[in-house]
Amino acid sequence: MPNLTINGREVSVADGTTVIQAAETLGIFIPRYCYHPGLSIAGNCRICLVEVENNPKLQIACNAPVSEGMVVHTKSDMAEDGRRAVLEFLLANHPLDCPVCDQSGECDLQNFYMNFGLYNPRFREHKVKKRKAVELGPHVMLDQERCILCSRCVRFTDEITKTGEFGIFNRGDRAELGLYPGDVLDNPYSANVVDICPVGALTESDFRFKARVWYLSSAATVCNGCSQGCNVDMHYMLDRPHLNDGNRVVRIKPRYNPDVNQWWICDEGRYGFGWADQARLGKVRGPSTDSAEASWEQALTTISTALEGSDNEQERSRIGVIASAQLTCEELFLIRQIFRDALGAQVTTSVSEEPGSSDDFLIKSDKNPNTLGATLLGLAVPDAPDAAQLLDAALGGDLEALWVFGHDLVKLFGEEKIRQLSEKVPLFVYSGTNENPTVPLAHWVLPSAAYVEKDGTFVNCHGRVQRIGRVFPPLEDSREDWRFLLELADQLGLQFDWQGPERIFQGLAETVASFKGLSYETIGTQGVEVVTATEGAVAP
Amino acid sequence: MTLTDLEPRAEEILQLYEQPRAAMLPLLWLVQADQGYISQEAEAWVGRILGVSRSHVYEAVSFYNMFHTKPVGRRELRVCTSLPCLLRGADALLDRIKESLKIGPGETTPDGEVTLTEVECLCACEMSPMAQLDERFVGPLEGGSVDLIIQDALTEPGRPESTPEPDPYISTDGPVLSTRFKDPEGTWLDAYLTDDGYVAARKVLTSMTPQDVIDEVSSANLRGLGGAGFPAGRKWSFVPKETDKPKFLVVNADEGEPGTFKDRYIMERDPHALIEGMIIAAFAIGSHKAYVYIRGEYFRSAKRLQRAVDEAYGRGWLGKDIQGTGFDLDVVIHSGAGAYICGEETALLTSLEGGKGFPRLKPPFPAISGLFQCPTIVNNVETLACVPFILRNGAEHFAGIGTEQQGGTRLFCVCGHVVRPGVYEEPVSITLRELIEKAGGVRDGNRLKAVIPGGISAKILTADEIDVAMDFDSLKAAGTMAGSGGVIVMDETTSIIHALDSAARFFADESCGQCSPCREGTGWVHRILRRIVDGKGSLQDLDDLLAIAGDMEGNTICVFADAAAWPVQSYITKFRHECEEYIRSERSAEQEETAECPI
Repeated sequence: MPNLTINGREVSVADGTTVIQAAETLGIFIPRYCYHPGLSIAGNCRICLVEVENNPKLQIACNAPVSEGMVVHTKSDMAEDGRRAVLEFLLANHPLDCPVCDQSGECDLQNFYMNFGLYNPRFREHKVKKRKAVELGPHVMLDQERCILCSRCVRFTDEITKTGEFGIFNRGDRAELGLYPGDVLDNPYSANVVDICPVGALTESDFRFKARVWYLSSAATVCNGCSQGCNVDMHYMLDRPHLNDGNRVVRIKPRYNPDVNQWWICDEGRYGFGWADQARLGKVRGPSTDSAEASWEQALTTISTALEGSDNEQERSRIGVIASAQLTCEELFLIRQIFRDALGAQVTTSVSEEPGSSDDFLIKSDKNPNTLGATLLGLAVPDAPDAAQLLDAALGGDLEALWVFGHDLVKLFGEEKIRQLSEKVPLFVYSGTNENPTVPLAHWVLPSAAYVEKDGTFVNCHGRVQRIGRVFPPLEDSREDWRFLLELADQLGLQFDWQGPERIFQGLAETVASFKGLSYETIGTQGVEVVTATEGAVAP
Repeated sequence: MTLTDLEPRAEEILQLYEQPRAAMLPLLWLVQADQGYISQEAEAWVGRILGVSRSHVYEAVSFYNMFHTKPVGRRELRVCTSLPCLLRGADALLDRIKESLKIGPGETTPDGEVTLTEVECLCACEMSPMAQLDERFVGPLEGGSVDLIIQDALTEPGRPESTPEPDPYISTDGPVLSTRFKDPEGTWLDAYLTDDGYVAARKVLTSMTPQDVIDEVSSANLRGLGGAGFPAGRKWSFVPKETDKPKFLVVNADEGEPGTFKDRYIMERDPHALIEGMIIAAFAIGSHKAYVYIRGEYFRSAKRLQRAVDEAYGRGWLGKDIQGTGFDLDVVIHSGAGAYICGEETALLTSLEGGKGFPRLKPPFPAISGLFQCPTIVNNVETLACVPFILRNGAEHFAGIGTEQQGGTRLFCVCGHVVRPGVYEEPVSITLRELIEKAGGVRDGNRLKAVIPGGISAKILTADEIDVAMDFDSLKAAGTMAGSGGVIVMDETTSIIHALDSAARFFADESCGQCSPCREGTGWVHRILRRIVDGKGSLQDLDDLLAIAGDMEGNTICVFADAAAWPVQSYITKFRHECEEYIRSERSAEQEETAECPI
């Protein structure tokens, strides 16, 4: 454990630590372009130059191993002068087209220039011309002139995806970033190169010229695209809808979580957000005509009365609920308490679906974010029936009410079967976020809030419970599932003392062993393992 | 042949290397030799064989300037226009060739006979101005010989050529390195053996320990003669003794420093001296595999060294159980493909492993983790060629020839404005003035203006500064460096601005492009100098050049940026008045020319 001094502050770090890492433990940020903690060290940009006492030359902090007694200055005149020089070189051939560059506002050339730029340019020569607006693939655009050749993207496709698309061709100031002629950048993680590009060389086709980044707001959440639960930041815009075709979500960026996704997300997750703004269910629809509008109060009163009526003389309940592993733990817990435990309903989240694409990195074939949460709550096979069994029961006349959360049954079982279901079962409730062929066949349609519109938790496939964060309010009249479920419970005369997701989770933690001792506070921003977290925890 | 036909040969090449990717340059050479250029199909083929993506194959193809990605003429005429050739009329030579062939550099005659290429230093400055026709060096190309080379360029390959074999002055009487340089056709094994050849290697393998050898070489004060001057014995001692990893000896034969042409003579005229030196060095560091990285343009050197290696294998001086001593050593000759930076030892290793010639971050140093992440010693050809002498005649003898800190002699390469350019073996204590006199003094009775004492990277010395010994320490004390031993002499007719422009072009062309200060700085410096040469300079430019050079120096992975900065700093500082005069007079001339333009 060498002890060293950085900017007059002492720190003790593990052997093999580099100066840039040691500085970070003190909260000292050393500028970097080529350095990325997820990639090998390249040491080519030279912006992380620091002064190390008793060393005549500046050292690059990214490759300088710490040693006992080392004295480092990151802000001395010598260090700042070195960095100023490097920045001047990097900008020599840079086109300075910031006004039309999507990176503007989140560009490290701009950011660092603010700190130690020359502010008195002396470059008077013609700049080297290279190619601009090169479409590399479905998601990524390249501007070779803006590229500072830090090689982060090359190392990403070499070391992380191992697909090797990128190369830096030629040499000297003719060196240029590109793909092999004719190649397409379409690996399943391609857009991560945009995130790690420190300048405007690699930008997103999807975000191209859409908005200045300073118009964007950001909220931390978790991707719901599959059971991996990658941590993301949702970038959205509420006050300039005209820039984004009226959509609120503008783009998704990975959020670092060392235990889940490190710095990365897949393209499928990154570009899978369109449903949050498009073809949404916005109004409650009642049974009088296909699309008759009704109020939430009407709906919940009618439904609760029907549910109570179907109660419950029989041995087996005549209520079926096909819940969904897209719902949060809190919502599934409410469904369990209300339907399974209070009404004795048959509840399941298990639906036979075709497995989706998967790999041995982040992409999982289970496209539900909370299958494990549903399983821990006992709402999935083997503790619960399969959806097909409930459907058969309904078609056989054994159910008086069927409530479907989010599943497009038409897609799963065929239109004919669901049409029959609609006629056979006396009460067919559908709650969900988006239009689909099942919606017109339901008697009652309840518009649910999208997961970005609510708080809650998912348990990923590795047993990590993670909080999703509400990004913005629900669209139109849609309501969070937990909210209308609480309202329904109220109608049913159930006495739940839970005002919102955090309190519901508290109830869940008190009830379900795997979650014992957990709270929103302990889950924090990075999540915790459910199983290990419960060991030795004291139940409240 | 088709690519499929080349596969058996490709498989043989792969067997020579510890990792498939290291066969990158040999496979690209194989394709280009067979097909004339490297097609996209061939890039894919090479990538498949090596398990490397096409983008990385193309990175290599585009980095090394000897590879062609399009069909070229039946013959290629490569004309050197680097500083040493420029001093002796390379620009006029290129003009004459362009005029005769009616094409410019980078173009091929309409009938596909010859492609003309303008290249940086081929390290044949003793025959400047010179050119390379396919594999052969020809020069000096003056007067009638220019017509002959054009005639040869238009002749079918393989026909007898009319240009004479170059015959520059080359030392032949030693005492250390040049004793077997007499025969231009080379000294082969039998001749070498009768001249005390392999005596030192036998002695080392039969009666010495590795530590004995290191001690002997250390006390001989042998310094690294590639340019850095690091004590050779000490370098060998850095190789870890306790390691399971194989150790490698890599010979740096990537002679590329403008003004330097000594290693070529060792490889072509006395190749067994190098091989014997390699055996001794490999024994000292515990290596059983050695690579010789020869610059791609040195076709003849590679062929002759290969012939010597084959002879040595045939007679039990290489391979398994050398001369029954139980010591094994395999040698692989590996050709570069046109990149000066590969002379930097870590760039050489990256290149040898099949990558672009990018210098590596240190630490780790090659002695700990070099080729294929194994302990590796990289030594220059001349350094190793001194080793048999030291072990044969004793460290004391070698040390006694030189100065207190540097033993032995060097093959000094003298070129530029001297009467008799050539290779001069002299004790390192010789002064620069004496060396120039040995080369016949300044040509045409002209006055000396300046000398670059150690290859183009070294800081320039004025005519008043040449009473300095040529050893590493004396030249360092004089504010410059001994470098590669390339002495470039400039007489009073030299324009310093043009010389600096030429040096700057060299560094801009040859920067690997890895570190931002070097990649951007070399190009920037050259563009400013182009502007000054074109009469559009200002006095402020001189201060800017000094500032830019200062910002480049010491801030990059390797010392290339420093080497690019030193000429800028030294030429401008020492010849400031001339630079200012040039800017003033050319600027007014330029303004007169454009005066008709209304403002």
